[in-house]
Amino acid sequence: MKVSLDWLGEHIDLTSYSPEELDHLLTFAGIEVESIITMPDKVIVAEIKNIKPHDNADKLSVCMVDDGNKDLRQIVCGAKNFKIGDKVPLALPGAKLGKELSITQSKLRGTESHGMLCSQKELGGEDDQGLWILPTESEIGESLNTIYPTIFDLEITPNRPDCLSHLGIARELSALSGKNLKGNSDYAVSETPHRIADKSEINNLDPKKCSFYTTRLIKNVKVSKSPCWLKTKIESIGLRSINNIVDITNFVMMEMGQPLHAFDSNGLKGGICVRPAKEGEKFAALDDLNYDLSIDDLVISDDMKAIAIAGIMGGANTGITEKSQDVLLESAYFIPSSIRKSSRRLGLSSDSSYRFERGVDPSQVIGASELATKLILELAGGRAEKEIVVFGEAAEVPPNVPLDAEKCRELLGHHLKNQEMFAILEKLKLKKINEKDNISEWEIPSFRSDLTRPADLHEEIARAYGIDNIPSRQAGWFSKSSEADHFFDFIEAKANELSSIGFYEARTIKLTSELKIVDCVCTDNCNAIAIKNPLSDDLTHMRPGLIASLLDISERNLHQGAERLRFFETGTVFPGKEITEEAQHLAILVSGPDQNSWLDPSPEPAGFFTLKGVLERIINRPIELSLADQKEANAAFIANITINNKAIGCAAQIAPSRARQIDARHPIFVAEINLNLVFEESSRQIIYQDLPKYPAVRRDIAMELPYSLPNIEIEKVLREIDSNLLESFKLFDLFYDETGNQMNENKKSIAYSLTYRNHERTLKSAEVDTEHEKVLSKLKTKLPIEFR
Amino acid sequence: MVEELENILKDATLAISNACTIDELDKLRLTFLGKKGIVTIIAAKMKDLGKEEKPAAGKALNKTRTAINDALEVKVLNIQEEEDRKVGENIDVTLPGTPLPRVGRHPISQILSEAINALRRMGFSLASGPEIETEWYCFDALNTPADHPARNESDTFYFADGRLLRTHTSTVQIRTMQKNEPPVRIISPGAAYRRDEIDATHLSQFNQLEGLYVDKNVSLADLKGTLEYLLHSIFGKKTQIRFRPHFFPFTEPSFEIDILLQVQGKQPKWIEIAGCGMVDPNVFIEVNKSRGDNNYSPDQVSGFAFGLGLERLAMIRWGISDIRLLIENDTRFLHQFA
Repeated sequence: MKVSLDWLGEHIDLTSYSPEELDHLLTFAGIEVESIITMPDKVIVAEIKNIKPHDNADKLSVCMVDDGNKDLRQIVCGAKNFKIGDKVPLALPGAKLGKELSITQSKLRGTESHGMLCSQKELGGEDDQGLWILPTESEIGESLNTIYPTIFDLEITPNRPDCLSHLGIARELSALSGKNLKGNSDYAVSETPHRIADKSEINNLDPKKCSFYTTRLIKNVKVSKSPCWLKTKIESIGLRSINNIVDITNFVMMEMGQPLHAFDSNGLKGGICVRPAKEGEKFAALDDLNYDLSIDDLVISDDMKAIAIAGIMGGANTGITEKSQDVLLESAYFIPSSIRKSSRRLGLSSDSSYRFERGVDPSQVIGASELATKLILELAGGRAEKEIVVFGEAAEVPPNVPLDAEKCRELLGHHLKNQEMFAILEKLKLKKINEKDNISEWEIPSFRSDLTRPADLHEEIARAYGIDNIPSRQAGWFSKSSEADHFFDFIEAKANELSSIGFYEARTIKLTSELKIVDCVCTDNCNAIAIKNPLSDDLTHMRPGLIASLLDISERNLHQGAERLRFFETGTVFPGKEITEEAQHLAILVSGPDQNSWLDPSPEPAGFFTLKGVLERIINRPIELSLADQKEANAAFIANITINNKAIGCAAQIAPSRARQIDARHPIFVAEINLNLVFEESSRQIIYQDLPKYPAVRRDIAMELPYSLPNIEIEKVLREIDSNLLESFKLFDLFYDETGNQMNENKKSIAYSLTYRNHERTLKSAEVDTEHEKVLSKLKTKLPIEFR
Repeated sequence: MVEELENILKDATLAISNACTIDELDKLRLTFLGKKGIVTIIAAKMKDLGKEEKPAAGKALNKTRTAINDALEVKVLNIQEEEDRKVGENIDVTLPGTPLPRVGRHPISQILSEAINALRRMGFSLASGPEIETEWYCFDALNTPADHPARNESDTFYFADGRLLRTHTSTVQIRTMQKNEPPVRIISPGAAYRRDEIDATHLSQFNQLEGLYVDKNVSLADLKGTLEYLLHSIFGKKTQIRFRPHFFPFTEPSFEIDILLQVQGKQPKWIEIAGCGMVDPNVFIEVNKSRGDNNYSPDQVSGFAFGLGLERLAMIRWGISDIRLLIENDTRFLHQFA
């Protein structure tokens, strides 16, 4: 909301504050100052003296303007909404508009332009429909920043509707600065008599949505342009000046926070009815748009038709125009939730709905009508009906709220005396009803319906006292570590290890699309959960796995020239069988050679066993891999990973066709494991073993076996051998010739080295021979192998 | 024989002195003294000699052996000395080292880790909760009115069964209080989602760090002290911090925290980095209702809660201008955080 410093000055003397000091005061009242707007220097009032078309451009015209100097000034202009005699803002060469635009003397399509004529928007306002036509009374040559005051653009939190007006802000500043309000500051008191409406005048069919509705008829007004002071005031806070009647209703709203609406009474047939809209009822609003209403929307209607969407916007059929003669002025209290719902549903928000949906001060409904009527009579003449016609009752005053000073002190963590608290509440216009020991009871002013509980009073005290004045306490407490702590540390350790061996940690977002999901080759990707209201086509589902994002970022990095791809990501995935199922996964991607150097200018590209090696190190438990039966279009093959026969994830090679799509030059290998499951298997007790005192003996075995026999079969046999002497074994060579020249292509040659040791004494050669013979014969009987 | 040995010694001495490498010397040792070496073969002939010849021949044989051995050893030492002297003579120490991977964690993880370390020192432990939540955990239990705009489908992602993607990690406050008796002192890092188009300053999914401390007599002073310590840990002790009154449905009073960003050559600027406040009594009341007891009675306990946006912290900390860099994972970007 924009507020004008001059306008505030009518309610409170702020002359002793600089804009920066006011900024500080407001900020610490909880009112965020988004910006402080002042009219730029070197922008003056100019009068259009002559307009002719530009020789080389249809859309431009060449104007001669009077800037107060002897000679007219030539300006090239793109707007169309002005005529000779209009007064408009002229930015002179050297003026700076916003951050971007510096005005210089220049040539536009070959014609000299000595400055720029401006729209309201170009000078910090909101209206961008052509040039800003200034009041005719404006003095030529006068600088705009002397006419238009400094503006504060404020963000008011939803709990403080009372601050949505100049009076409201002034009231707040008065409470915080201690300076008294001046001028008209209490619109709750009214002198105008009012009478209960006859049913034929106002009929309210939905008092639950509108508790109080008033009208006042003003006849024979003269609708015209607003006088200079009103137009300037309205425009200074970014509103568009329309005519004197509409400007007056806007002025009253910005002055005291009560939205009003003026109907052209001559367009009305019969009395006013506040009623739910009919399902599918069409409504043409003042914004020139048509709305389809529903039974949940509240409308104001006459006997024939709807004339306003209650509290949100009036109808085109009864708007005030130059031709209007009689004005029916509405001032009402609509229930916030009803306005909020309609405004959301219709996607239609106005300054009026913004205030009603947050809650206006019910005690000002009559006062606002009274002030607007007074102004209409002053500026547009006419004759007002003696009485305001009312239906229903203004909402009751908010109930009293107790304050326990001791409780408040506890909450602040600071010893604030009772009297100091009371002083704060009194400045905020609360009234103490009674007091006993630390307990007091407070009457709440009508404009502060947000204050309903003791906690609300504590907040006011903390806010006004200033958190800066409360000391900070730094205390440590003992806290047991939780399961979440252990799991977090477990994942951190894995992540740190991966980055220490050269893997980049990726963090991607967890929303994905159906198109991408097929890339999640290591996880079940058939049940991905769809979002009901996605924002775009590429973010429609919850990710069922991490591989798709790792491929995505591989593509990005390949395209910027990367060859070495080493990525991992940890994070939540959503398998989707149950919507409540979430798991923490780790995915790894490797492709391409490791970093080269002058010592090793062309290292080998990563293969599947590069990936498996990483997995073995990271998981740090004996893992087993086996080829999986399942097929994925985007995977060349998939292998299941198990620990202790428990499936924990999959490894795969991305299908070459898919790799080509992202312009990969090397095969891509990926793995994804469920960290929750690995974590369960992670506890391990390390027990120290005595270092061997006696030497070991090594014997090698070379064997030829069918190519299709998985290596694990050999290791299974070796593991099962019952021997006290066989300490360990290790594969050290694998040979295979696919051409069949050196060895049958259906065979492979594998070499193992076996280590024998006796922990009690040095082994004799003969003993080892006997034991080794046992191993060989076991292998021979169990497997289709031949020793070489 | 003695003469023969003298000749052998001459040959050996000459060969040894001509040798240039340790390898050559090893070979010479074998040639003269090895199992099939010249001296060994002659020694074998000793048994054929007469009694009177033997002592002199034996003496000569020993002398020859010792002399050859000594010559070898002296020469080995000479060559080693020569080689040792050369070590390091020709190395170009300015050539690059063999590269080892140098990769740091993602900036978000680094910030998170620092924040968690600081908060753990103050006795906070971790807690977690699901990202797909019910409306009750995300809004109702957190004192958010039924018609609050955050609940709109235009602002929040929903699923067909009515569940939603949590819009903040504050849901974990409720889950923690449901499961645990006071006091609780938890932090919870995690994802939050808003229905925002992705641009330079918005992500539809971002990361938050939530904190909650509930006990007897928890005060604003504790809130201030805790957050000051946390932010000083991340941004340095000299960083200026301010608490600005604000409004959130689930805390009262509520504050936004700004830090004074000082970039060289630019006007210092207050930047909002966190929201916090004292837990609203209505949140406790709602928790009690769902627990079916009064262990979180607002008359007995009080608490503070806070939430930090990790992307924002990282952007401020390292001057990152576009939030999308944090999800693009360009290695040229990531490499800068090693």
